[in-house]
Amino acid sequence: MCMSRGDARRVRPRPARAEGSSSQDLDGLLVRVARGDQAAFEAVYDRLAGPIYGLIRTVVRDPAQSEEVAQEVLLEVWRTASRFDASRGSATTWVMTIAHRRAIDRVRSVAAAAEREHKTARPLIALDEVAESVEASLDAERVRHCLGGLTELQRESITLAYYGGYSYPQVAGLLGTALGTIKTRIRDGLIRLRDCMGVS
Amino acid sequence: MRLGRHDLHILTGAYALNAVDGAERDRFEHHLRRCRPCAGEVRGLRETVTRLAMAVTMAPPAQLRQKVLAGAAVTRQLPPPVTRPGRPFPAGAAGRWLAAAAVVVVLAALIVLGIAQFRTRHQLDSAQAQNQAIATVLAAPDARIVTRAATSGGTATVIISRAQQKIVFTSAGLRALPAGKVYELWLIGPPRVRPAGLLPSPVAGTTAPMLASGLAAGDKVGVTVEPAGGTSLPTTTPILLMPLPA
Repeated sequence: MCMSRGDARRVRPRPARAEGSSSQDLDGLLVRVARGDQAAFEAVYDRLAGPIYGLIRTVVRDPAQSEEVAQEVLLEVWRTASRFDASRGSATTWVMTIAHRRAIDRVRSVAAAAEREHKTARPLIALDEVAESVEASLDAERVRHCLGGLTELQRESITLAYYGGYSYPQVAGLLGTALGTIKTRIRDGLIRLRDCMGVS
Repeated sequence: MRLGRHDLHILTGAYALNAVDGAERDRFEHHLRRCRPCAGEVRGLRETVTRLAMAVTMAPPAQLRQKVLAGAAVTRQLPPPVTRPGRPFPAGAAGRWLAAAAVVVVLAALIVLGIAQFRTRHQLDSAQAQNQAIATVLAAPDARIVTRAATSGGTATVIISRAQQKIVFTSAGLRALPAGKVYELWLIGPPRVRPAGLLPSPVAGTTAPMLASGLAAGDKVGVTVEPAGGTSLPTTTPILLMPLPA
């Protein structure tokens, strides 16, 4: 549906990346990590350290703190790999969920909240920056395109919550919008993103 | 503040973004364990959210790799979760009600198999709650059993309680699906089609019993092949379409 919308000049045909097989590789790597296989853990590091660090930087901002959180997350992956259950979602999602939660733990603590008083979560800056990097440009392009297909309120709610690390009541406060509206817009927007990105 | 089921379901999006905190998150997670469609939706939305994460990839500081690998070398890993032998459901109670006692025994075995698939304490607890609910359907005075072959091979068995407006669904020998595909269960009514959850991965060819609520008069039970995470409406021709006894 998204592909048929306007803004066609930004739509590039998506090369057939071996997404299925690469995500399965990662599942297999995590199984090996759970058995204490350090080589497998290095492979996981090489695959996911960039996404983990990028997400944490986007939420936390401060480079030194972000590095600390990224280190915690990667060690958490090592420590709890036996708890990964492929029937409940992909390995990438399992890892990135840990990363996002740790980043949020960091910024939602009281001290961090005071420090972030400038509260200009401007996640799309990060999105623009990474568009230059070859490996991420495809994902970023796709995400940007699909975010462009949302209403402004849907897009702002989702990016503030995810990239800004705000809870939905905080998002409602920042946008001066009713809680119920924000909940609905976030869900509607994510469903539209899911369909646009062809997530299976 | 008391939230209705509808309000809770709307939280799938915010929850997938980790934007729900405290008591509300606890309440939603409690709901998720009972609402398979919600769990399926959360799974799909989480995969979507992961794309947002991958879009902001950034090269980490060079020293991080060494720190992490050194840390791993001195960090003990959690052991794998161990399955506890549980008391899956009161077969005696079910047996009193169901004339076809043999069927109950088969179902009890299926439920034990189902238990074997749950590996964490948390999963086990929710599985036990689920089994209680399943046992209640099996023990219903009006419970009826129907079995039907799927078009692509294998069979499905459904236990229906009209009084409880619930069904329990199990399958055996369904064709294995390629990665990224799942079987999704539907209640197909004259007015509308409702998703009733994703079939769990089979163990020895058999899927653990799953419960679907909200059965209405005229509903058929259907199964389709869908992308992982499921969909809100069927996108393929059902491999199983089962009319239910009135």
